[in-house]
Amino acid sequence: MGARMTEQEIRAAVDDVLEDYFEIERERLLPEASIFEDLELDSLDIVDLVVAMQKKFNVRIRDDERVRDIRTLGDIYQFVLTLQEEGISPAA
Amino acid sequence: MKRVVITGLGAISPLGNDVPSLVAGVEQGKSAVQFMEGWDQYVGLRSLVAAPAELRNEKAIPRKSRRSMGRMSIFALQATQQALADAGLGEEILSSARLGCIIGSTMGSATSLSETFETMLPERDLSKLTAMKFFQCVSHTAAMNVAHCLGITGWVMATSAACASSLQAIGTGYELVRMGRQDLVICGGAEELHPTVTASFDILLATSTGYNDDPQRTPRPFDSERDGLVCGEGSGIIVLEEYERALERNAKIYAEVVGYHTGGSGQHVSQSGREAIVDCMSAALSGAGLSPGDVDYVSAHGTATRHGDEVEAQAIGEVFGEKVPVSSLKGYFGHTLGASGALELIVSLAMMGRGVIFPTLNLDHVDEGCKGVGHVMAPLRRDLRVVIKNCFAFGGINAALVCRRLED
Repeated sequence: MGARMTEQEIRAAVDDVLEDYFEIERERLLPEASIFEDLELDSLDIVDLVVAMQKKFNVRIRDDERVRDIRTLGDIYQFVLTLQEEGISPAA
Repeated sequence: MKRVVITGLGAISPLGNDVPSLVAGVEQGKSAVQFMEGWDQYVGLRSLVAAPAELRNEKAIPRKSRRSMGRMSIFALQATQQALADAGLGEEILSSARLGCIIGSTMGSATSLSETFETMLPERDLSKLTAMKFFQCVSHTAAMNVAHCLGITGWVMATSAACASSLQAIGTGYELVRMGRQDLVICGGAEELHPTVTASFDILLATSTGYNDDPQRTPRPFDSERDGLVCGEGSGIIVLEEYERALERNAKIYAEVVGYHTGGSGQHVSQSGREAIVDCMSAALSGAGLSPGDVDYVSAHGTATRHGDEVEAQAIGEVFGEKVPVSSLKGYFGHTLGASGALELIVSLAMMGRGVIFPTLNLDHVDEGCKGVGHVMAPLRRDLRVVIKNCFAFGGINAALVCRRLED
């Protein structure tokens, strides 16, 4: 269990994942951006996004049904915040 | 049957990332073999030398194409792009279904395979594996990635016969164009260096182990002090095109492919057989309607293993005698395995264009068992009309390709 992260820290860490793994420029990383249409990820990228997030936040989310509901970058921020609220403290 | 010509060449090699730098390196007698830092961490790996290529400009490939590529597929794509540009072919032909893509390799990306198992096996945990590992690891990774990235809709195949892979790719492309099934085929091979690749030969006692402190003196094909092969990496790609089509568009023609044969030796799982090699070269010549006396140069497989070189020399001697010049190019850039047939054919075509035969680097004293053939030990001016390229693979799989210069 790592130290509790602020919302800003979580946003920055998620943005790091999208920049590092998917080469998306920082200025395109807006909360309302659709991960499919705006950020141009596809279903294969989502598999790798889950793997990258697991590594970044030290969580296991591969079988978490809520991953399927993610549509926007804001949804990802919220998902990680929820994980933290549930006691799965993300340690970036 | 249609006639088949070579109209484009592309190379990523240990001597440079295009055909001119590869050929210049050989012409200048350079060796790309070096000591590999860090390889000594592998317990039992005795061969610590290799001929690496340089990965360059990979970010120029769009991420969605690059994400499924290991190192070898990037090499293959870049070599293919060079070959297409060299052939003067535009994008429209790629999606015509009349252009095929056959790129062989021993296996998929060695680095990706290693990473996959290192990720999965310690805890028997699949959850850390990315989706892209599959596409990087499969045996047809180079052909698949090149075809996908370039939008090729014709035949897409991967020949996988270790060191004969790329010559089988070219031979298969030749047959397809000859039979009229495709008008053009991008073909060749790709391979990637990794300590586990060298290890697979090291275990079989086939690698060079005595020159770790003096890497550029090995491999030593046909030499009395040879002690095994040295792995290299890269990709060689050629464009095969139906002759009339090439004429119509006034394409530059390097040579005509006139004969090809591949066959198993049916004898030993790792060792080549003299008779099978004789039969393979003879069948390729026969298919070309040529006799051994018509051949001006033999580009040997010549990996510098004790047994393989001797058997090949005996076979070449039996077919061609002592007068036909023979050299191996592996002293310059190592054994690029699945890419070797294509890269060495490209250099052989350069020899044809320049009227010179490049010698076997590191061949100082011909081994007693390798005598009886016309070893080239210094650059030799020679008008080359017909060349034959040999490749022999583990599994007893042999391949030989015959090319003839087109006369004006």
